[in-house]
Amino acid sequence: MREESWYKMLVFSTILHLVVITAVSIPIKKPTKKIELSSTYSVNLIGELAGSISGQPQGLSTLTGGTRTEGTLQKKESEKITRPQPSRKKQIPERKETKAISISKNKLTSKTSTHSNNTLTKDELIQLEKRIGEIKRKTNYLDVTQMKAQSDTGKKGPGSGSGIQGYGLPVSGQAGGKPLDLVSQKYIFDIWEKIKEAWGLPGSYTTKKDLESIVTIKIRKDGRIIDINFEKRSGNRLYDESILRAIRSIDPLPPIPPSFNADTVEIGFRFLPGDIS
Amino acid sequence: MYTGGVLSMLLSAGPVAKAVVLILLCFSIFSWTIIFFKLRQYSKTEKDGERFIKTIREADSFKKMVSIYRGGSDNAFYRLFFTAYKELSSIKSENPGISKDYFNRLENILKITISEETERLERRLSFLATTANTAPFIGLFGTVWGIMDAFREIGIRGTTSLAVVAPGISEALIATAIGLATAIPAVLAYNYFLGRLKGIISKMENASIYILNSIEK
Repeated sequence: MREESWYKMLVFSTILHLVVITAVSIPIKKPTKKIELSSTYSVNLIGELAGSISGQPQGLSTLTGGTRTEGTLQKKESEKITRPQPSRKKQIPERKETKAISISKNKLTSKTSTHSNNTLTKDELIQLEKRIGEIKRKTNYLDVTQMKAQSDTGKKGPGSGSGIQGYGLPVSGQAGGKPLDLVSQKYIFDIWEKIKEAWGLPGSYTTKKDLESIVTIKIRKDGRIIDINFEKRSGNRLYDESILRAIRSIDPLPPIPPSFNADTVEIGFRFLPGDIS
Repeated sequence: MYTGGVLSMLLSAGPVAKAVVLILLCFSIFSWTIIFFKLRQYSKTEKDGERFIKTIREADSFKKMVSIYRGGSDNAFYRLFFTAYKELSSIKSENPGISKDYFNRLENILKITISEETERLERRLSFLATTANTAPFIGLFGTVWGIMDAFREIGIRGTTSLAVVAPGISEALIATAIGLATAIPAVLAYNYFLGRLKGIISKMENASIYILNSIEK
């Protein structure tokens, strides 16, 4: 046979290989997309928070109706605290705001409800300052100074964190609107630090921005983790399993501080690949 | 973005794994080129052989064959026939009276032509055998290297967590998978073509006997 048909066959063979390679690589992408889409139910937890904190940059704040969230909250008996992960610098000042607002929500319900959309007037700011002062007086713990120092540095530092990330918000017990004291906050913070320490991922994962999992853990009074629940899966099995493993490895935790006033505590954490230490 | 897909795994693999996969891809492309080429070549040759034997059976004499086949297409059986024809005419021009040993000479020249044609048909088939033998080993090399890397990473990170090890090993295993995917078609095709080649060779031998017979007539 003539040599020219070699070239024809070579081209044919190359095309065949390209087709096979694309065929192998394309259909695998589809199911992961589906998983990403199917995780919408997870929003509720944070939705409630966004309602109680106005003026926070919120990635997930497009929530579906307060009524639904109310329902889920009522179902859950234990005190629920959600603290989606934050960068430490930004989080603490925001926490204070959170507290202040939730208090003002208790006492001045009419006012906060009218200002639910992102703008704080000067009067409100003054009132916030007052509330912060009140809280500091009320929660007269040793930690206060420490936390304050941190928050001050936080305020001075450039707010360079991405808008989506910075919102740490401990909020609302079941009765509605009782803000967390600093001991409780520190407890949660310590747990988060422990998890981060225990969490291991291969290096290539830390650059992958779009992996996000939200996990709630239920802690018994004596510090045992009795339930780990994925509110949102990242869609990547390895990633989710690494989180599970990290949480299991820190069990048991120190006992719940008495300030929680509850038998079990449920805490939500948001895991982003960038958090890994 | 991590999709769990083979392609994204490959992209995140190390340089050795990438090189191995590239080599295997080249092997695969060439072996498939040979497979397609040989498929066409063999089926064409077989068809020519059948037609040739059919014609030579129907033709009464060698002279009639020559008239039928003159200007025929370029194929193994045509060449076989015409070397015999050329040899015969040269014998005739050398000594016009037909001598007894011309038959031996013709037989030899036909044998030579058959071996030439066999060589032509076998050409590059050995590449398939090479691919079949070496591709799994090349893939294995990539895998071993990848696992070495994975273990080194455990050492550096100090965690024995499966999440650290698993992706590296998974990436490494792709090399073996591709090696096997390259080798298996090559083995199958090589054996298939060997069987077919045997058939073609025996057909050519038959054809040469037919040619000798028709000359004798």
